Amino acid sequence: MAEKKYLTRENFYAFLDILKKSHRVFLPVKKGEQRFWKEYDKPSEDIVIGEVRAFEPLKSFFTLAREIVAEGFSPDVPHGGDKPFALVGVKACDMKGMKVQDHVFLDHDYTDIFYKKMRDDNLIITSDCTRAIDTCFCLAMGVKPYSEEGFDINISEEDNGFLVEVGSEKGRKAVEKSSYLFQPADDTFVARRDRIRAGVEQEVRENVERNSVPEEKDLQGMIEKNFDSEIWEDEAKTCVECGACTIICPTCHCFLLYDQKDGEKMARLRIWDSCMIKDYAHVAGGGNARPWLWERLRNRFEKKFDFFPKVADIYACTGCGRCVSGCPAKIDIRKVLRRLVDDAS
Amino acid sequence: MRHKEKNIYRPIEAEVLDVVTESPTIKTFKLRPREELTFRTGQFMEMTVPGVGEAPFTPSSKPSVKDTIEMTIMEVGKVTKEIHRLQKGDTVGLRGPYGAGYPLDDFAGKEVLVFGGGVGLAPLRSLMYALFDRVSDFKKLFFRYGAKTPGDIIYKEEIKTWEKMKEVDYRITVDNGDDKWKGHVGLVTTILDDMKLDLDTAIAAVCGPPIMMKFGTFKLLELGFKEENIHLSMEKNMSCGLGKCGHCRIGPYYACKDGPVFTYDRIKDLHGIWD
Repeated sequence: MAEKKYLTRENFYAFLDILKKSHRVFLPVKKGEQRFWKEYDKPSEDIVIGEVRAFEPLKSFFTLAREIVAEGFSPDVPHGGDKPFALVGVKACDMKGMKVQDHVFLDHDYTDIFYKKMRDDNLIITSDCTRAIDTCFCLAMGVKPYSEEGFDINISEEDNGFLVEVGSEKGRKAVEKSSYLFQPADDTFVARRDRIRAGVEQEVRENVERNSVPEEKDLQGMIEKNFDSEIWEDEAKTCVECGACTIICPTCHCFLLYDQKDGEKMARLRIWDSCMIKDYAHVAGGGNARPWLWERLRNRFEKKFDFFPKVADIYACTGCGRCVSGCPAKIDIRKVLRRLVDDAS
Repeated sequence: MRHKEKNIYRPIEAEVLDVVTESPTIKTFKLRPREELTFRTGQFMEMTVPGVGEAPFTPSSKPSVKDTIEMTIMEVGKVTKEIHRLQKGDTVGLRGPYGAGYPLDDFAGKEVLVFGGGVGLAPLRSLMYALFDRVSDFKKLFFRYGAKTPGDIIYKEEIKTWEKMKEVDYRITVDNGDDKWKGHVGLVTTILDDMKLDLDTAIAAVCGPPIMMKFGTFKLLELGFKEENIHLSMEKNMSCGLGKCGHCRIGPYYACKDGPVFTYDRIKDLHGIWD
């Protein structure tokens, strides 16, 4: 177990001020009932380090929605040189999202150097959730409402400060630079943190039970079993093909390479794409593997709950609930999964 | 900023050396890449028209030729329309090669049927060249090809020379003949019945429009070809070629990375393979 330290709230902001010199620091702020990522300037009332995940998925810091990835035939890599990001207050569900993103952009025969640079340079400071909202169901998807791995630094909010755990060399260096701000943390801090964690876990467990969300283990083979089911057409009835569910999803990674003229040169952009859009699988010759909206809805579930478990041993859902609240047609992933399991039995 | 690592999205510059008109809608472009770029037969590349876009094509040329690559392309969409405007001396981009290609070593000692329709002959021409390079390795080559009309037959002069080869059992057909056409008239599935081959081991490599792939495959199965010996070129929307962008997924595979050539047994139960 990594060494633990304690940071008072005042010193936490002093730590961010030091980080700001070398990084662009982003953290969640609360507006109404939503939390959004905002670049940190100085301490403010709206900053929420605990609570739950922000509205935007973490992937937006690692693959930009629209990014130039080639200019003409030049071997020089476009842009870059900006300060790396320090992302403070990242939740565990988004860290599972990054596992899927890593599989796509890093762990293949081909590495996306733009993503890799972001991954290498950006500092991730996770924080424990201090509450759950109705749409949270992380526990069902094998995620706890706090991070145990994958972070550079994890912070657990307590009354007047944070329990700090270092998880990587990058994290250790960042803490060392301002080591005078940190004090040792004894077992009472850890015990208090564990009590808070257990309380939030209980909240999420109640959510999962109340909404009857099936767990990962119950989902094995469910797509194949229900491939020809009426569920898909039924659930797609209200879909308006807006693509919000894919844009907002921390595991969705699909993109489109788009070329445009940039003066005399060519600029190639990597742009987020959505498998819910009709043209997604369209080929120039006229073919389309999924012309019907319900086929595309099924495809989205197949990708997450059949493809990724098969190729990467991971269910590509984090239980963050963003698609539940983002869908204007009220298509609820928890309900769809429940129907899959019920209909198969 | 200059990275040591390779930028997977960057195309290599290539010069258009020659353009051959094959049919009213199909042209062959001979390209010379400015950097080393070689391929195995059946692998594909992304070809860029600068500022317009890229699209996937399987080279139609001999893989053992190292300094030039030929692409035979039908005008069907935005990018191919611009490709058809290209002239000698113009510049394009190439990215690749991607995918697995044909497992030629597995074909050794067996009869090989090369079975194409329309512009689907493009990758198969490359395959024929690769087979010719080691022709004594194979028991016999069967060539079966169909086009809509005599005017739609591509590589007209070249395939005539294949007819004369003793290693090749050759038959072509057109859906609709004309006054000058003396050959067979009928769908491409009607010229398969006379082949004498060992169906337990015989290999088929199929490429053509979706409808031809579908009914061609059913015909081969009816004749007794084994599912695992039927190699199909799957046309899907391959955008990145790298197994990342998601577009060309069929079931547990990406056509770009796990294909684009699949044996029928691997994909027969998957949704949308013929669309």
